[in-house]
Amino acid sequence: MLTLIVVLPLLGFLLNGVLATRLGGNVVGNRFVTVVGCGLPIASFALVVASCMALAAGGYVPLVEVAYRWAEIGDGSFEIAFYFDRLAAVMALVVTGVGSVIHVYSIGYMKDDPGYGRFFAYLNVFLFFMLLLVLGRSLLVLFVGWEGVGLASYLLIGFWFDDLANARAGKKAFITNRVGDAGFLLGMFLLYTTFGTLDMDRINAAFGAGAAPAVSASLVGLLLFIGATGKSAQIPLHVWLPDAMAGPTPVSALIHAATMVTAGVYLVARMAGVYVHAPEASAVIAVVGVTTAFFAATIALVQTDIKKVLAYSTISQLGFMFLALGVGAYAVAIFHVVTHAFFKACLFLGAGSVIHALGGEQDVRRMGGLAKKIPLTFWTFAVATAAIAGLPPLAGFFSKDEILWYSFASTRGGAPWLWIVAAATALMTAFYMFRLLWLTFLGRSRMSAEVEHHVHESPWSMTGVLVVLAVLSAVGGFIAVPHFLEPQLALPAVHESLHAAETPLVVVSVVLALAGLAAAAFLFGGPSERVERLRARFAGVHRVLSAKYFVDELYARLIGRPLVWISDRVFLRLGDRALLDGTLHGMAALGRGTGRVLARIQTGSLHLYAWLVLAGIAGALIWSSRHG
Amino acid sequence: MDRTQLLIGVAVALFSIGLVGVVVRRNVLVMLMCMELMLNGVNLSLITFAQQTATTVGAVVVFLVFVVATVEIALAIPIVLLLVRDKHTLDIGAYSELRG
Amino acid sequence: MATIEGLLRQLDTLLLVVCAFGALAAAVTMLFLREPMRVALALVTSMILLGGIYGLLGVHFVAAFQVLIYVGAVMVFIVYAIMLLERREVEVRRYSRLVVPGIAGLVVLPGAIVASVWKPLPSPVHELGDVSFGIGAFSVAFLTEYWLLFELTSVLLVAAVVAAVAVLGVGRKDARRG
Repeated sequence: MLTLIVVLPLLGFLLNGVLATRLGGNVVGNRFVTVVGCGLPIASFALVVASCMALAAGGYVPLVEVAYRWAEIGDGSFEIAFYFDRLAAVMALVVTGVGSVIHVYSIGYMKDDPGYGRFFAYLNVFLFFMLLLVLGRSLLVLFVGWEGVGLASYLLIGFWFDDLANARAGKKAFITNRVGDAGFLLGMFLLYTTFGTLDMDRINAAFGAGAAPAVSASLVGLLLFIGATGKSAQIPLHVWLPDAMAGPTPVSALIHAATMVTAGVYLVARMAGVYVHAPEASAVIAVVGVTTAFFAATIALVQTDIKKVLAYSTISQLGFMFLALGVGAYAVAIFHVVTHAFFKACLFLGAGSVIHALGGEQDVRRMGGLAKKIPLTFWTFAVATAAIAGLPPLAGFFSKDEILWYSFASTRGGAPWLWIVAAATALMTAFYMFRLLWLTFLGRSRMSAEVEHHVHESPWSMTGVLVVLAVLSAVGGFIAVPHFLEPQLALPAVHESLHAAETPLVVVSVVLALAGLAAAAFLFGGPSERVERLRARFAGVHRVLSAKYFVDELYARLIGRPLVWISDRVFLRLGDRALLDGTLHGMAALGRGTGRVLARIQTGSLHLYAWLVLAGIAGALIWSSRHG
Repeated sequence: MDRTQLLIGVAVALFSIGLVGVVVRRNVLVMLMCMELMLNGVNLSLITFAQQTATTVGAVVVFLVFVVATVEIALAIPIVLLLVRDKHTLDIGAYSELRG
Repeated sequence: MATIEGLLRQLDTLLLVVCAFGALAAAVTMLFLREPMRVALALVTSMILLGGIYGLLGVHFVAAFQVLIYVGAVMVFIVYAIMLLERREVEVRRYSRLVVPGIAGLVVLPGAIVASVWKPLPSPVHELGDVSFGIGAFSVAFLTEYWLLFELTSVLLVAAVVAAVAVLGVGRKDARRG
């Protein structure tokens, strides 16, 4: 059954990819694509639910299914095997569930696009690889899924590849991911040489066996985390995610919000058996996470593209998840993955609905006053915004609050300064999200008359999905995911002395969320001079934030330019032209020169030839009489 | 020095003089004649050794040398004639067109 | 009897020495003479004296062949050619540019040959002139043991005739020029 879950989307990819594209001659119409492209993921979801029931019925003993024995090398063998335990169940439900609704959303969003069949094929192949990732038993299968989702992401970011900027964005995403994968591969090699297997459950058990492990857990942890940095857009490999907004909005929702970018979080949570023994690596993860969260939030304060705000928000929320992982609260991080999937997908799809309504406009400076015109989109967007800001009792409140609590009080790395930075980030999150809500939907309209005339609510295939996701954002917090995962991923112990601080901290986080809401309402709900004055006062800071701290330019100067210089000077001019071509030309010149020298013997003078015969006879005779 | 050594010495001398003659003389016909001298030197050495070992093979080879020398001269003179008809000189320096 | 034989033997040796040195002297003058006709006559002298040597060695038929073929055919042909080409002769210089290397070769080459041949020369089994074979033995050897070479010479002669015809262009229309 597990194999079937994974294979159904692959089938969808093959059918749509061949029959609905130019490859197969466009033999089927959009209806076929819709039925196959949406039906198969929904079927996968149903199977996942069935597997969850089978898991529960079996007392939560992990289901293992070996699909194919790939290679036998020496004593060990590499198999394609699937592993279904509590963690895999949660992740698979999110992937197939949210994935299916986004597929349904795409029916309406991509209706008029000529690449309709290709789009659903790519979405299906993404789902296939993502399921390989979450259901795989060994790191090798996970890595295949890891690379596969990277490929799908590349294909989908550059979906409208006629515009060169989109293609470049896809390339940037893929290459940045590959940089992280180097660390991932090294970690895998280390694990394989030490344990002789890449099965994650076996590796976790080996680390937990009590004896001192043969390889440093922190080293392995750091290497795997480098891979997670690339995939989950943490500093310093976060640069690809904002550019990835060049793809269609369903792609941004599915891949760059709900599922693919959480693969790094899943990896660390899955390898928790290693990280509980790696305090140094965990500390690094926590610091990187909270730093990323803070910096991404500051950049999101001044962005003017609706999708870019959401992109930086995603980076920031991923930072929160890694913060949770760093202090040992693995189940809480997964909880935040689930709630984040709900409200971020809702936000992205809502943004897509707005863009659809405005006929392609993405700049919030040219929006405003849409609340009355597209009410359904507005209300779902508002619910999701409140969720991400952390207003109780919506989903984001529960998960974010747990993270803040454990960052303060966990015995495995919690510290007050982590909480302070995280709380500041939470404040900024509330502020910029409500800023986005005000600028987009409320206040006076800044649209052009022509655009305003054509504003219309999206079709039911899109708004229905928005409603579903908004409801989940509202009540999803009551799904006690950490409690569900506790038997597998134990929550860390908390300092005894700090127990009393729990309730005050909850109050503080609610106050911060409300403060963010109030500040946004004040600045953006009133006349625009308030914002202008603020911007003028902090003009320098505004410039730095708008330019995303000049990270891309820094990379281009520090890494890009030296590499190009080396390629040009060392490899092209020195290596290729001087050495390789020079060697070949040199050999040819050698031949030619030798020929020229030897040609001097051919003078045409018979006397010389006869004399050479004489000299040859004499020489040969003397030589043979010496050595005879 | 007995007879054998004398005759071998003469044969070697004749051969060397012939070869050097080809090297130093310019006239085409004189060079041809020096080549004949070389052949004669070889003939003498063959006969000497044939006599010494009391076999007939030396004489047989000498006869063949005669035949070859005849054939060679029968063709060389016409070639020289044609060359001279073209270049109007017997100087071998005029015939050095096959240069590298 | 022994003394007459000894005297005859001494005469034999004397004649041999005279012929040998004569042939050598005639060959040497070939290098110096200016006129090609004189060179030809020197070569004729050398060849006749060589024929004499062959006769003194007892191989009379080879001596006959020497005079008949070499002097009678080859040298006559060369003399004809010299006579025919004489009037075209522009002043041809005597020596080439390789005179000095040639003289050096003249010293080195005999030395090299002698050095490699002299020592291993076998001690004479028979004294020269003692053994003589006539044309009968020669013919028998030619037609039994070396008959293949005999046949090949006829092939060679045919090829030579064909080549001569081709060189001179006998039968070609534009060959009758001058």
